[in-house]
Amino acid sequence: MANSNLPRRIIKETQRLLSEPAPGISASPSEENMRYFNVMVLGPSQSPYEGGVFKLELFLPEEYPMAPPKVRFLTKIYHPNIDKLGRICLDILKDKWSPALQIRTVLLSIQALLSAPNPDDPLSENVAKHWKSNEVEAVETAKEWTRLYATGA
Amino acid sequence: MDSDYEIVDAYDGDSAEDYFSGGDTDMDEGDSIGGFEEDEDDGDNAGYEYGYASDEGSEKTYTVLRESDIRQRQEESISHVSSVLSISRVAASVLLCHYKWNVSQLHDEWFADEERVRRSVGLLSKSVILFPNDSEMTCGICFDSYPRDQIHSAACGHPYCTTCWKGYITTAINDGPGCLLLRCPDPACCAAVGQDMILKLASDEDREKYSRYFVRSYIVDKKKTKWCPAPDCENAVEFELGSNVYDVTCLCSHPFCWNCTEEAHRPVDCSTVAKWILKNSAESENMNWILANSKPCPKCKRPIEKNQGCMHMSCTPPCKFEFCWLCLGAWSDHGERTGGFYACNRYEAGKQEGLYDEAEKRREMAKNSLERYTHYYERWASNQTSRQKSIADLHQMQTVHLEKLSDKLKEPESQLKFIIEAWQQIIECRRVLKWTYAYGYYLPEHETAKKQLFEYSQGEAEAALERLHQCAEKELLVFLDDGVFDINVTPDFGTFRPKLAQLTRVTCSYFENLVRALENGLSEVDSQAASSTSVKNGGAKGKGGKGKGSSRTGRAVARNIDDSDRWNCDRCTYANPDSSSLCQMCHHQR
Repeated sequence: MANSNLPRRIIKETQRLLSEPAPGISASPSEENMRYFNVMVLGPSQSPYEGGVFKLELFLPEEYPMAPPKVRFLTKIYHPNIDKLGRICLDILKDKWSPALQIRTVLLSIQALLSAPNPDDPLSENVAKHWKSNEVEAVETAKEWTRLYATGA
Repeated sequence: MDSDYEIVDAYDGDSAEDYFSGGDTDMDEGDSIGGFEEDEDDGDNAGYEYGYASDEGSEKTYTVLRESDIRQRQEESISHVSSVLSISRVAASVLLCHYKWNVSQLHDEWFADEERVRRSVGLLSKSVILFPNDSEMTCGICFDSYPRDQIHSAACGHPYCTTCWKGYITTAINDGPGCLLLRCPDPACCAAVGQDMILKLASDEDREKYSRYFVRSYIVDKKKTKWCPAPDCENAVEFELGSNVYDVTCLCSHPFCWNCTEEAHRPVDCSTVAKWILKNSAESENMNWILANSKPCPKCKRPIEKNQGCMHMSCTPPCKFEFCWLCLGAWSDHGERTGGFYACNRYEAGKQEGLYDEAEKRREMAKNSLERYTHYYERWASNQTSRQKSIADLHQMQTVHLEKLSDKLKEPESQLKFIIEAWQQIIECRRVLKWTYAYGYYLPEHETAKKQLFEYSQGEAEAALERLHQCAEKELLVFLDDGVFDINVTPDFGTFRPKLAQLTRVTCSYFENLVRALENGLSEVDSQAASSTSVKNGGAKGKGGKGKGSSRTGRAVARNIDDSDRWNCDRCTYANPDSSSLCQMCHHQR
């Protein structure tokens, strides 16, 4: 029932996500709630997350698109801008949100964040400290976590 | 702050008759002896207010800006920028919001590099997207197609439908003042969204909010302007930087210190006030129960609540004991008529006689220090409460009693202005007196001479204020009685009028001296030792004038000419007419 008055915008976005998915990203709405998306993001090549498959959840609140979607990593990940609950520090999910952005652009930005961690604006203090003090070692840990938690084994 | 001299002027220049007539002309004649008073048009107000916004003397160091004044200034800035830069008014508003209404900085940067300014604020010279000639367009937010007339865009041309624009604007306005710098929804586009578009599409409620943010943007982040800190007051105060006197009074009649935005605390400095307020917040919980609103009557021990402003308490019959709220001593010891003296402002440090062991000594000291603080806090707080009560009384007087009284006495209200003036003087004096207790608390114990002078001046001022407050509060009651008009009342009123007016002036003069002495750091103690009394008066004035502008000195000279037929009492500094050899205030020999 809740899905019957889904805004046209969400329907159109969903259709496009399914018909022309962005490379390395899949997002499909849950059957019970069309505002809830199961998301998979492939770890970008040449990043410590390469080879990993990361599960996320994405929810479109009532105010969407005037308010940003809520996104969270479900797969454990070692990243300075993602905390242990999977919350993401990304400007377009907060004050830089614009209704002209879409689910697709949000997920592409998250994928880009995996390629370019930003330890100067950390969400996870410890990871960020690790990243800044010994990047080689931190990258190794990230690779290790990817192998342990994101390879679906 | 100029007005302390006006107070003196009003007193010195006027005979009693002038004072009652309330006419500006009389006042001006009295004032213009020295020829310095061309721009003094506030004779009505002189004599009771230290810095009420109604005075517009040339030395006033601040301007109160009402919302309408701010809007007008904004309009002027917009018109100016719009004509100088040859841009639309909407574009000028965008620029001014970005430049925090700093017109000269805007001009400088614009003429140095117009393109860079345009880019940074999002004023595009031409649109990025050209509208195709289709009859329908797709909204970039809801992805629906709409006829051209339902599609809007900022200067960039990114198309969004009316509904989505409204949603975008509403969200932005409810997010806060950031809506003043709104940009096109397209994340890659920096085009500013103009005020015209926002006002056209926002709901009434949001438009109201937006315009509020717009007005506020003029004050926020400005060095020279601050909001009045009184709750619900919408005015701002613009301050003339460089002046050392920070007391300002908003049009809402809230007096505050422009420097620290605490309530006005002249003659005490900001750091003392901050220390005192911090101390109060730390100890006030202790104090609150110590200083609960009631005290037992010193004679019959029944609890008494102080519900009027002055310190003269009368227990209810049959006891009828009259006492002082502060020291709980008999009131009969307080007036000079009875040979007593008003000494409630004085704190005698506890007698430290006898032999104590260490622990006992420490306990004793802690007790003393708390007692000492309590002493000053209690007096500070009592004057605060008294002031609040007086403000309420004045309001009641202005809104209810004055009209009644005027009917009863068959006199126009303008003839009864001396009552209002008395109350205004009381309110101001309670404020000054309150802060002198914070001053007293921090006055070093070992500076005995200063402490004595301070306590003496404070005591004199306080005694004068108590007389005035008593007269305005209690003696006026007779005339306010709702009973049938009694013709016999009128002669009484005839004596009441000069009495209250005289008390108002005398109190004003005492507080003048107190304020001046404290602002000098009680330096009279030093100068008095070195020089004769005639020098003392002039010397004190010179120091008191520091940072207050040269014109003030000019007025002081004018006053001295006017003063030639008066002498200042050595003890209480009261200006007595030459004819008397005994001080009219303290009965000290000339």
